[in-house]
Amino acid sequence: MPAIRKLPEVLINQIAAGEVVERPASVLKELLENSLDADSRAIEVHLTQGGIKQLRITDDGCGIAKEDLALALERHATSKIASLEDLEAVGTMGFRGEALAAISSVARTRIISRARGTSHAWRVSEREHEPMPAALNGGTVVEVDDLYYNTPARRKFLKSDATEYGHCDDAFRRVALARPDVGFQLSHNGRVTLRLAPGDAERRAREILGDDFMAQARMVDVASGALRLFGFASLPAYARSNRDAQYFYVNGRYVRDKIIQHALREAYADILHGNRHPAYALFLELDPAGVDVNVHPAKTEVRFREGRAIHQFVFHALTRTLASPVQAAVHAIAENEYSAQASPTEQVHLGVEEPVLARYFSAAQFAPAATRAPSFEALTAFGSRNVASGAFMPNALPQTTQGAPLGYAIAQLHGVFVLAQNETGLVLVDMHAAHERILYEQLKHVLEGTPGVQRLLIPAVFNASKIEMATAEDHADTLQRMGFDVAPAGPNELAVRSVPALLARASVTDLLRALLAELRDFPATEVIAARRNELLGTMACHGAVRANRQLTLPEMNALLRDMEATERADQCNHGRPTWVQLSMNELDKLFMRGQ
Amino acid sequence: MLLLTTSRDELLAPLQSVSGIVEKRHTLPILSNVLIEKRGGALTLLATDIEIQIRTTTEGAGTGEEIAITVAARKLQDILRAMPEGTEVSLVLDDKRLTLKAGKSRFALQTLPAGDYPRMQFNEGAAVEFSLSQKAFKKQLTQVAYAMAAQDVRYYLNGLLMVADGSELRMVATDGHRLALATTELQGDAPHTEVILPRKTVLELARQLSDSDDPVSITLIGNQARFQFGPIELITKLIDGKFPDYDRVIPQGNPKLVKAHRQALLQALQRAAILTNEKFRGLRVLLEAGSLKVLSSNAEQEEAQDELEVDYSGDSLEIGFNVSYLLDVLNNVGTEEVEIHLNEPMSSALFTLPGNSNFKAVVMPMRI
Repeated sequence: MPAIRKLPEVLINQIAAGEVVERPASVLKELLENSLDADSRAIEVHLTQGGIKQLRITDDGCGIAKEDLALALERHATSKIASLEDLEAVGTMGFRGEALAAISSVARTRIISRARGTSHAWRVSEREHEPMPAALNGGTVVEVDDLYYNTPARRKFLKSDATEYGHCDDAFRRVALARPDVGFQLSHNGRVTLRLAPGDAERRAREILGDDFMAQARMVDVASGALRLFGFASLPAYARSNRDAQYFYVNGRYVRDKIIQHALREAYADILHGNRHPAYALFLELDPAGVDVNVHPAKTEVRFREGRAIHQFVFHALTRTLASPVQAAVHAIAENEYSAQASPTEQVHLGVEEPVLARYFSAAQFAPAATRAPSFEALTAFGSRNVASGAFMPNALPQTTQGAPLGYAIAQLHGVFVLAQNETGLVLVDMHAAHERILYEQLKHVLEGTPGVQRLLIPAVFNASKIEMATAEDHADTLQRMGFDVAPAGPNELAVRSVPALLARASVTDLLRALLAELRDFPATEVIAARRNELLGTMACHGAVRANRQLTLPEMNALLRDMEATERADQCNHGRPTWVQLSMNELDKLFMRGQ
Repeated sequence: MLLLTTSRDELLAPLQSVSGIVEKRHTLPILSNVLIEKRGGALTLLATDIEIQIRTTTEGAGTGEEIAITVAARKLQDILRAMPEGTEVSLVLDDKRLTLKAGKSRFALQTLPAGDYPRMQFNEGAAVEFSLSQKAFKKQLTQVAYAMAAQDVRYYLNGLLMVADGSELRMVATDGHRLALATTELQGDAPHTEVILPRKTVLELARQLSDSDDPVSITLIGNQARFQFGPIELITKLIDGKFPDYDRVIPQGNPKLVKAHRQALLQALQRAAILTNEKFRGLRVLLEAGSLKVLSSNAEQEEAQDELEVDYSGDSLEIGFNVSYLLDVLNNVGTEEVEIHLNEPMSSALFTLPGNSNFKAVVMPMRI
């Protein structure tokens, strides 16, 4: 057995590098964050051979003074925090004082920096810790050459140049998305691949996520106390088969947090089809003291002091945004096509009175008759909402679409689809899917807050693990509120004495196991709501009009009006779209008109 | 080869007795068939789903060759049912097909060999035997059968507990939300035996038993039970499990006693049930001295209210129930009056019949 001895400094740094410096992309991330912490307005990145051969980053930030430069490559040396209080309320991206030391232990590293107000720049390198005079206009340049030149074992783990470049590109986009106020430029092997000018959040999101995303995205901006969630979340129509377009930031820091992901998944649960994943770029802002980022050196994990509150806030903020009725979506389409400004169709339609008349009819005559609204109050509320939505329509939209974004029915196709025309063109509606969603939302509304509880004559007793026992005890109040009366029946057994009445026929044990598993990992759960909604979904499906049911025009118009007034009416209960828009432009293209 | 000639009704009645247990969908094709057997002048029809087997025997099928064949039960039954009453039918077996002839109608049905038909062998050994009138047995079954669970993961609740003890036969069923118990006198003296009859067996027995004073004799051996009544013999497997301790969940000394006219209460509940939530059917019962009010409302916020006079002198009480559970009890006890023993809004309600300690039903309340 060899004797215990202190490790040499270089080896310590190399071990630390194992955690922080995984590949060129992680070097890039650390350096970009340093530049942002230095208040830079423009940052340029040059990569050579995927960043393995060379990675150079140039910024125009505050620079590093000569005396600090000597310490920059030392481990646990930083200007960002000075005390525990600073750490607990850290506002900068970095704070560990490790990155440069770790990088310089596995790559040839050179820093040239000129602090503001000094006469010239200074230079240090991984071998030469004593600053030497150098020439630079301002800001800082960091050059990282030959990554892992001294640790061949790790070098073997690097993939091809193209793959490493791809990872660098991802890291670059992740950082750039969060800071639209800063200009970024990325070049690879001497060619500029991405240039991002400073601008607003929407422009940056469009540049990074693409026009397709923005066309199908809704803007989120919800604040409550010190919490604010803003950004863009895709509508289900843009859902993807993988998770690659999911960007979530906490105080400007890109994170992959379990609690947040769970909240987002639940917010999309009701509208997303099968295994599709939503795309989003969302920013959560909160008091830095409310979140602990010192969990892992790479800082993609965070811990919230108020996990439950954060979860609920994110969930509700997003649910509300995604649930807003059809108008917004049509608005988005119309705006995206810029048809409202200069298209000739506007002039034709403006003078026509007919749709206004139809609107009068639909509101006064058809809608009340066909609405299966639960009560008179709801019915009047429905009517006034319709009128109000017309009043809030932006001026840019043609007057004639007022109150009828889905237009007016013109025919029914093979007893399955409703054809309607609106300002933009043709609307195709899957009438079963649409009606299903309308009934489903109505059922949900009506059952909100009526938790009937069925007492059990014979308690359902099941074997529970120690963790399940503890979870049941910790969350007894939550369970009680849901309608479950759960108490230990032995050292390894839980007994359920009451269940929510709606789920009285379900298997109690399975339901409770799923519930406890969720409660253990996440501060809040929608398991019960999900199970209940499944049931309501089936009811809605059975209640909805079937294919081959002939509808008259007033009936179809009533359906369209109901859709406009219903939350999440764009998708059926299973996440499939309920309607599609074929614009006049698209129809023109089909017939090569004007070509 | 002529199998038999008989009237449509002579063949249809026994066929309907046995075909009730034949499942519509099968992975094993022969199980949708019925076994037709003629031996020594007796015609036997037999059907099984492997858990239950029903056999009827009719004498006087005439002479002729001894024969055994299986044919699709439901098709044969549908064909016979579609014939006018009293039609003379004959069954002829040629090669592998069974031909049914009646007047000018002719149906050739596919057959499968009788040797392949899975027959249940009734256990041999020490048996517990007792008998009682069909009428009494049927009444007892209907008094408790509705409380059985259906497709519960606690498989032992998907059936009915039958306890023979001395000169007493007790039946208990529960689905975890409510429980029903009924007791009758036995002819004879049976040792203490507890068995759980499967749900399907119970429903089949309730369907087949008549309201006559003819006896049904019951034999219990190991994991099987046999019921013999009239020309019918039904053999069933039993559910192997431990039934919950039912005595413990029957409340003792609930202080608030309500006596109500059964029909009036039943009708009030049926009316109010129309406007309950179709999924959990919650209904509130409001008790005050001399009056019982039922209140219900549904998802569309429609409301129903009904009131009837009852014999009650306790404090006022509001308690919620799943109305289906109440209707089940009231529908299946054939008396003028019922007694309801209540305690707290969240404690169980006990239903009894006046001057009769043989019936008890317990229903758990619901918080609405």
